[in-house]
Amino acid sequence: MASSSSSGLTFKLHPLVMVNISDHYTRVKSQMNPPVTSTSCSNTNGNGNGAPAPPPRVYGCVIGVQRGRTVEIFNSFELLYDSATDSLDRAFLLKKQELYKKVFPNFYVLGWYSTGSDAEESDMHIHKALMDINESPVYVLLNPAINHAQKDLPVTIYESEMHVIDGIPQLIFVNSSYTIETVEAERISVDHVAHLKPSDGGSAATQLAAHLTSIHSAIKMLNSRIRVLHHYLVAMQKGEIPYENSLLRQVSSLLRRLPAIESEKFQDDFLMEYSDTLLITYLAMFTNCSSTMNELVEKFNTAYDRHSRRGGRTAFI
Amino acid sequence: MDIEQKQAEMIDHFMKQASSLKGSAITPLVLEATSNPSLFAFSEILAVPSVTELEGTENATLLDTLRLFAHGTWSDYKGNMARLPQLVPDQILKLKQLTVLTLAESNKVLPYDQLMQELDVTNVRELEDFLINECMYSGIVRGKLDQLRRCFEVQFAAGRDLRPGQLGNMLHTLSDWLTTSDNLLVSIQEKIKWADTMSEADKKHQKDVEDRVEEVKKTLSLKVS
Repeated sequence: MASSSSSGLTFKLHPLVMVNISDHYTRVKSQMNPPVTSTSCSNTNGNGNGAPAPPPRVYGCVIGVQRGRTVEIFNSFELLYDSATDSLDRAFLLKKQELYKKVFPNFYVLGWYSTGSDAEESDMHIHKALMDINESPVYVLLNPAINHAQKDLPVTIYESEMHVIDGIPQLIFVNSSYTIETVEAERISVDHVAHLKPSDGGSAATQLAAHLTSIHSAIKMLNSRIRVLHHYLVAMQKGEIPYENSLLRQVSSLLRRLPAIESEKFQDDFLMEYSDTLLITYLAMFTNCSSTMNELVEKFNTAYDRHSRRGGRTAFI
Repeated sequence: MDIEQKQAEMIDHFMKQASSLKGSAITPLVLEATSNPSLFAFSEILAVPSVTELEGTENATLLDTLRLFAHGTWSDYKGNMARLPQLVPDQILKLKQLTVLTLAESNKVLPYDQLMQELDVTNVRELEDFLINECMYSGIVRGKLDQLRRCFEVQFAAGRDLRPGQLGNMLHTLSDWLTTSDNLLVSIQEKIKWADTMSEADKKHQKDVEDRVEEVKKTLSLKVS
């Protein structure tokens, strides 16, 4: 059903929208399947909580700004789906739209979203129903199935186009490409979630471990890419792949940038900073030790030194 | 990268022309290719069959010129000026640019003296003008000029055409890079494990101390009571 879009619109998607949609879906899903308790294990009826119910589809509206040929989707809100009439709750939508207009006067309803693995025929009804608010709404589809092998985001944006199929002009969904656009606040929050830093500050060891883990994953990615290049060049040398000069030139210019930093001045500065850090750690440890010793001596005095006081002798320290 | 993209169209254009012409008709083509201000890659043109056929014929000098531009430097030209045809100023400029690229291959820090010698430039001002105008503005080189220490630090240099032996070197460098990053990954993992075990041991130690304190407190309170 989906071919690639020819309308020439560029779509920009904000991460807030994706977080909203996935949050909506997760909430509905966890409300549908209450957590398994020990009493339910005795439920001998075949259809206990163990049988996975089909994942619910959630619906909502996306809002944003359209400037010329660029459509930027900023935010989204949820809508109720009425399966009896197979349409979205219109009154609620209008009320929500009014409320959002007061806070964000620039944002218009650009389309709607849903979850699922692929666009379906029934979605076209909802799409047509929304066409009176926006002549060409966009349909954002999030695939909630977790696929660890997949590298891209499971979000697709569909537009509707009029195509002639079997002699009848029909509206069908066509796939469009999009880019992710972030505001500074969004970038910080996404970064935070990605790293899952221990929020209480943790002990030094956990912070160190977290920092090292992030470096580790970055280097791992670099490593895999270099490996790909290496295999490619080996194959080229063996003759399995014809020489591609442009690529070889780029690789040679890349390799020329190694080693990235190597000069006497760098070594000097680096070693100086290294020894400074070691010195400060040593000093801090010393201070710690001497204060612990001091406490120990005071406790010793308090505990054992009662007799000498009568003699008028001054206590230790 | 951008230079390659800029060159890609021109390389295609010249290749098409070269494959349709033969013999001495290639002369003006070679001249045009080597004077073109944005073309730095000649190995594709060298690979076109009608160009390789020039070997050994009276137009072999054309092939040599092309090879000079693909792999050689300004000093090579000066050494062989007898055998190669006279170069027009555009070609001389391009050859000097390519010389800078070759020099950037071996060192990251190029002293002014070496550059002045290789490029036949007498004063520093002219050298810097050449580097800034011809090399950096055309995007083939990126770097910093250090006038106090009289050197040019290269951060990025576009690739020249590969000599046949260079592929082996590149593979060697790549595999070295791979082993280094592998080792680094292993050592980072060990460090992470070490940090975790140390914090575990520390917590355990704390707990042990507290337990002993509790015990002693209990025994004391028992003694008192």
